[in-house]
Amino acid sequence: MSELAQILRPDFLLHDALVASVLVGTVCPLVGVYFVLRRMIFLGVALPQVSAAGIAFAFLGYKIVVGPHEHFEVSERLVAVLGSVTFTLGVTLALSLFERRGRGTVEARIGTTYAVAAAATIIFLAKDPHGDAQMVNLLKGDILATTSASLATMEVVFAVVVVVLFACRKELLLVSFDRDLAVVFGKRAVLWDLLLYLLIGLIISFGVMTAGPMATFGFLVVPAVTMRLLARRMLTFSLGAAVLGAVTAFVGFYCAFRFDLPLGPAEVGVASVVLLVVGVTTRILGALGRWQAT
Amino acid sequence: MSAALLDLQDVSVGYNGTPVLEHVSFAIERREFNALLGPNGAGKTTLLRAILGLAPLLAGRIDYGFDRLASPPGYVPQRDTLDPIFPLTAFEVVLMGTYAKLPPLRPAGTVQRQLAARCLEQVGLSALARRPFWAMSGGQKQRVLIARALAVEPEIMLLDEPTAGVDRQAELAISEVLASLNREHGMTVVLVSHNLGHIQSTVQSVIWVDEGQAVKQSADTLPAAAALPSLVHPRSATR
Repeated sequence: MSELAQILRPDFLLHDALVASVLVGTVCPLVGVYFVLRRMIFLGVALPQVSAAGIAFAFLGYKIVVGPHEHFEVSERLVAVLGSVTFTLGVTLALSLFERRGRGTVEARIGTTYAVAAAATIIFLAKDPHGDAQMVNLLKGDILATTSASLATMEVVFAVVVVVLFACRKELLLVSFDRDLAVVFGKRAVLWDLLLYLLIGLIISFGVMTAGPMATFGFLVVPAVTMRLLARRMLTFSLGAAVLGAVTAFVGFYCAFRFDLPLGPAEVGVASVVLLVVGVTTRILGALGRWQAT
Repeated sequence: MSAALLDLQDVSVGYNGTPVLEHVSFAIERREFNALLGPNGAGKTTLLRAILGLAPLLAGRIDYGFDRLASPPGYVPQRDTLDPIFPLTAFEVVLMGTYAKLPPLRPAGTVQRQLAARCLEQVGLSALARRPFWAMSGGQKQRVLIARALAVEPEIMLLDEPTAGVDRQAELAISEVLASLNREHGMTVVLVSHNLGHIQSTVQSVIWVDEGQAVKQSADTLPAAAALPSLVHPRSATR
């Protein structure tokens, strides 16, 4: 318990990292519910990889234009944010355009995106040894490198995303649940889709920058999938997924600190254990209910 | 604005530039109860979607006797098109109908909630307001979708196969709701069906859709209910 008391102290050395971790755990599931509801979970794998490719490309570009970059430099973070946001938003918009035109299947588009992004990341890093080291940290979850400045930026971006998600929830729900009805109502479904993709792009960019692609994907999908087993209403679904993400992020952080584990995998591991427990429990309760009914 | 509620003039509809129906012209008057009848794949749903603005017109024009943006039509899709993964209660689904007249960013308030509750009551499902939509029977889901269309407060209601795949009791309940809306509230109704069943006595006009054509005629020309299935399912009738 001493470790728990230690990480809860305001002067804890990794306080910023803990806050960033819980923030990612809280906000990612809020957009993750749309991944689950729109049945595009694999986009949650592909986009963080695209974000990683963007970061690798930005590191490579920085090296070519300016020169070698050092880890933890402010300029390095700015470059990484720029690369991540540009790639994620660009690919998200391209995918939504292809979706609208109905070119190919969703699986083919997402699978190709993932393969190209993964290959591009490796190629960019092969040409930038400095970037390679940073990327390994990133894949593990470079959240421990969170600074006050990067945390403040993330807080502002995430706050804006949450406010927009809340303000536009009725339009986003309508367009996601019954797109035809939205069109009959004269709503500009394409613009609402674009807004949702923009929010997803921002969350993924900053999530990957902070917690790495694996933890970001984990928080996008696992809390939402878990909560879908429990929720009967949209509000419960969204808020429950966010709370579940926050709690698992905190517990994951504690486990990583207590047992000296890499943070990202520890957080995803905790979220997966919760999913397993909830999944098994709901199955057992469902079977018991059917048995009692007969 | 047109005197008729809907006026189709030499309309051609289809997909990817290939027409499914051509030179379709008919008008739908206020308070009329219409059925779009025809065999499977004849283009009934395509025509309905064109009227709703969901399928592009390849030629011709449709004049609307109402302001489609200020007062959109009530639309009841085939219930299977809605994904059961969404955790929505019956009430939440009905509430979506009120979004038609709500500006962006403005959430549904007390007025909209009361309207949704009234619409749910109108289809006889008040007691099931909190039940998950995905856990309801086919007939109940269909009535919830009718309530959602009512929450738009429309001048016309367009329904795609509202009684398909439901049992006879549910079909009767849906037919009664639609007949009551038309008779007591003067609602104009256009429904796609290949089996009118209980609703046949309420239908005033039929639009026959077959072989690339759509022709409107009085329901008085309809044969007896027993003979209808053989007209809309000619292959099954010859077996």
